[in-house]
Amino acid sequence: MINEPDIVFRTKGLTKSYRSAAGEVQALRGVDFQAARGEFIVILGPSGSGKSTFLNIVGGLDTATSGEAWFKDHRLTALDARGLTQYRRDHVGFVFQFYNLVPSLTARENVALVTEIARNPMSPEAALALVGLTDRADHFPAQLSGGEQQRVAIARAIAKNPDVLLCDEPTGALDSATGIRVLEVLTEVNRRIGATTLVITHNAAIRDIADRVLRFADGRIVEETVNASRKAPADVSW
Amino acid sequence: MVITPLRRKVLRDLARLWPQSLAIALVLAAGVATMILGNGAYSALSDTRARYYDTSRFADVFADVTRAPRALLDDVRAIDGVLAAEARIVKLGLLDLPEMVEPGTILLVSLPEGGGAGLNRLHLRQGRLPDPQSAREMVVSEGFATAHRLSPGATLTVVMNGQRRDLMITGIALSPEFIYALGPGEMMPDPRRFGIGWLPRESLAGAYDLEGAFSNLVLVLAPGAPIERVIADVDRLTAPYGGTGATARADLTSHAFLDAELKQLGAMVHVLPPIFLLVAAMLVNMTLSRLVTLEREQIGLFKAIGYAPRAIAQHYVEFVLTIAILGIAIGFAAGAWMGAGLARLYARFFSFPFLVFSNDPRIYALAALVTAGAAVTGALFAVRAVLALPPAVAMAPPAPAEYRQQGGTLWRRLGFRQTRIMTARHLMRWPMRTLSGILGVALSVAILVASLWSFGSIERMIDITFFRTERQDVQMVFGQPEPLRAVFAARQMPGVMVAEPFRAAAAQISHRNLLRKVTVIGRPAEPRLSRVLAPDLRPMDMPEAGLILSETLAQVLEVRPGDNVTVTFLDGARRSLTLPVSGVSVGYVGLGATMDIGALNRATGGGQMISGVNLLIDPAGLEEFFDAAAASPKTGFIAVMGLTVARFRATLAENITVMITVYVALAAIIAVGVIYNFSRISLSEQGRELASLRVLGFTRAEVAAILFSELAVIVLLAQPLGWAIGFGMGLAMAGAFSSDLYRVPFVIGPAVYATASLVVCTAAALSALAVRQRINRLDLIEVLKTRE
Repeated sequence: MINEPDIVFRTKGLTKSYRSAAGEVQALRGVDFQAARGEFIVILGPSGSGKSTFLNIVGGLDTATSGEAWFKDHRLTALDARGLTQYRRDHVGFVFQFYNLVPSLTARENVALVTEIARNPMSPEAALALVGLTDRADHFPAQLSGGEQQRVAIARAIAKNPDVLLCDEPTGALDSATGIRVLEVLTEVNRRIGATTLVITHNAAIRDIADRVLRFADGRIVEETVNASRKAPADVSW
Repeated sequence: MVITPLRRKVLRDLARLWPQSLAIALVLAAGVATMILGNGAYSALSDTRARYYDTSRFADVFADVTRAPRALLDDVRAIDGVLAAEARIVKLGLLDLPEMVEPGTILLVSLPEGGGAGLNRLHLRQGRLPDPQSAREMVVSEGFATAHRLSPGATLTVVMNGQRRDLMITGIALSPEFIYALGPGEMMPDPRRFGIGWLPRESLAGAYDLEGAFSNLVLVLAPGAPIERVIADVDRLTAPYGGTGATARADLTSHAFLDAELKQLGAMVHVLPPIFLLVAAMLVNMTLSRLVTLEREQIGLFKAIGYAPRAIAQHYVEFVLTIAILGIAIGFAAGAWMGAGLARLYARFFSFPFLVFSNDPRIYALAALVTAGAAVTGALFAVRAVLALPPAVAMAPPAPAEYRQQGGTLWRRLGFRQTRIMTARHLMRWPMRTLSGILGVALSVAILVASLWSFGSIERMIDITFFRTERQDVQMVFGQPEPLRAVFAARQMPGVMVAEPFRAAAAQISHRNLLRKVTVIGRPAEPRLSRVLAPDLRPMDMPEAGLILSETLAQVLEVRPGDNVTVTFLDGARRSLTLPVSGVSVGYVGLGATMDIGALNRATGGGQMISGVNLLIDPAGLEEFFDAAAASPKTGFIAVMGLTVARFRATLAENITVMITVYVALAAIIAVGVIYNFSRISLSEQGRELASLRVLGFTRAEVAAILFSELAVIVLLAQPLGWAIGFGMGLAMAGAFSSDLYRVPFVIGPAVYATASLVVCTAAALSALAVRQRINRLDLIEVLKTRE
């Protein structure tokens, strides 16, 4: 099954525990998961349910306590810090709630930051065109609206032609109209470049735009729904 | 005692920011320490000297004569303004010591009659004064006694006027006249080869055929007496007896060398502490500005709940003052420690009966006050802006940093990577901070450039003086001028290969109202051993008529080649004549004037006389030569060039390690302080961006390179600026150190700049490495969850 060409992610018995002042915290309690190439998956769940921890581990930002996580034929749980950096660099696009743009670089330069170190990137202009920001390419983040900043962040994430696109609350800091525009961009990009897309959100309304919806609670996947048909973001009631 | 919440915050902030605080404290400490060291050493030297002079009734005016009747003393005492005068016999003797191949020199000085009273009183360290009736007893100077392990009861063989005499040492003493005891023809005190012996008057009078006569006068003047007029009167009285002109205390070698040391200390106090205080103020400003920006919302909160702006300002001032107090405490300790070290060094060079490194509380208080002032000034500038904000505005997060399109296209065309553009824009976003960083590092380079150049300068002095100018092996100076044929006798001495005569004549040279007393040296028309060099270092032939002046003397007299000067010879017939200046020569020691030996003899009117010979000696015959020279009644003293250079170098080598260590430490403190604080601030501002880049797949090294390239820009831009500032400081110091006594050539080669830059870049690299750890520990997950 590992060699199944269409499987991008696979995890088995993934656990994560932290030692904190309050004692041991179990963030993940055994997550079994797999995702196919080009799939658009929405992950729901309350705060502390482990969804971000899960995304961080499959994104190569964090390490698991036990269990296995695979990206294609890379066993992520066996990689060291250097290996994880290389994995992120070559395969993963990230989109964050607070955009995390470099304030001293323009939209184009923020995208170029990634294309310069990527193996097979598109041009920064093409990435910005995909998110509809061609005319804002020379603006600094401080000169852009929140939605525009998030679209720059998406352009930056997809410019390397990533295999996976991981988005943690991408609309969390945006109003509904802007949020819908961002989701439209995400679904469009998912369709155009075929990157497996995982989107974490608090907003259950977004579930209808996904191929599949996972619900996290208490460190586990407690519900999995496959949508027979996907709605367009504009049709989602917010 | 209840600790208020704000005070508690001061302590917690300090604990949290301890490395940055310590870096600032060390820069402040360096300022305090140099201030205490400089001021303390200055007052220690000048106070000790003043007290010593006072208690020993040190003379104000000194005059040499060839031979004057004792009756003349009454006339001298009668001069208006003279409080006391003494007639002495002062002669050079040769030392015949079994442990030395070359003859040493001893300056023999007669003791005042009637016991210990009189002028220039000796300070007896051991033993007793000689019996006034004894011709076999002597007191010697302490440095000389120590160098030869002589103690009272030992016997010393002295060649006086060609006759060997065994003298018993009865005591060991110090004199205010020889605090800095420099032998004839020497550049550094060498107590092994030069000593002072004090003998009863009669004993010396007998040896030098000066019964009822004297060869030297010392005078103490009434307070406020016009010294110039007294000197003129003394010159008038002594002229018929071979008087070569009286000198004031200020021109006495020992005194003048102490003055030169004081001048250097003064220069240090005026240069180093202000640099440290400036850098410290900049660092405080930089660091506190960032702290205040981070705490902007807290400040708004404090204001909103009713804290007055004053109380908030006081909070930050207290934070900075705590750092300043730490710096002052370290500075006090370091200053006192280095002061004690310097006092030990002085004790080796200067013969004082006592030397207390004064721990004057006023010096400490002033240093503390100035330092705290500099720190608080830096703090107030940082807090000012935030205090002016209304609480509501302050509580809101600051507007995002505005960047402008600064050369983006240009940089892209130049092939700049985005990370380089980040670096450039971040540096330009905070121009004042960037400039402060550059200036700080530049000052650290400058301190090194301004101190390290002196080594090259000393090498140049040695090279010019001993290898290009004074090329003889030995200079043999006669006790008194001899007829020209003495040079043939010298050629017959064992080991002598080449002998070249010279004539030395004391003279006053004047131009307009400018006047200096110098020794005019007569040389053969084409001198081969003791030469004179033009500024382009080519040897100069002696002009048929006319004088060659050293650069320093030409400057002092404001003359150029072609001008005429008036020369009055002070011995013999005291002739006065006008001579043209034919050329200007290089020379670093004393004021020099030279002319053709024949022309000089014609000018003085004393016949064909020579004062001594410069000799090249076959090394194999050196020992035999010294024996013969010591036995010759004509020998006044013998200067051995090789030993002079060796002593000069050895003395410097002793101090060079200490000096380099101190200056490198001072420069490193600044460089580390500036770079460490700068990088911590930069990391604090860009930590979120750098962590984001790590998430995007940038490696640790790539992310660290972004921060390091900022530091590299600062450090690189600082180098040329530091070289320029250091060059200026060095030039000013060379000017400040130069006196009639010696001139310091300002020689500064690429090695000086390279060394300074290497030291500073190393210090910068080390502080950058300290920050590298923090870059490696950036929290990648936290940065995604929080908004700045």
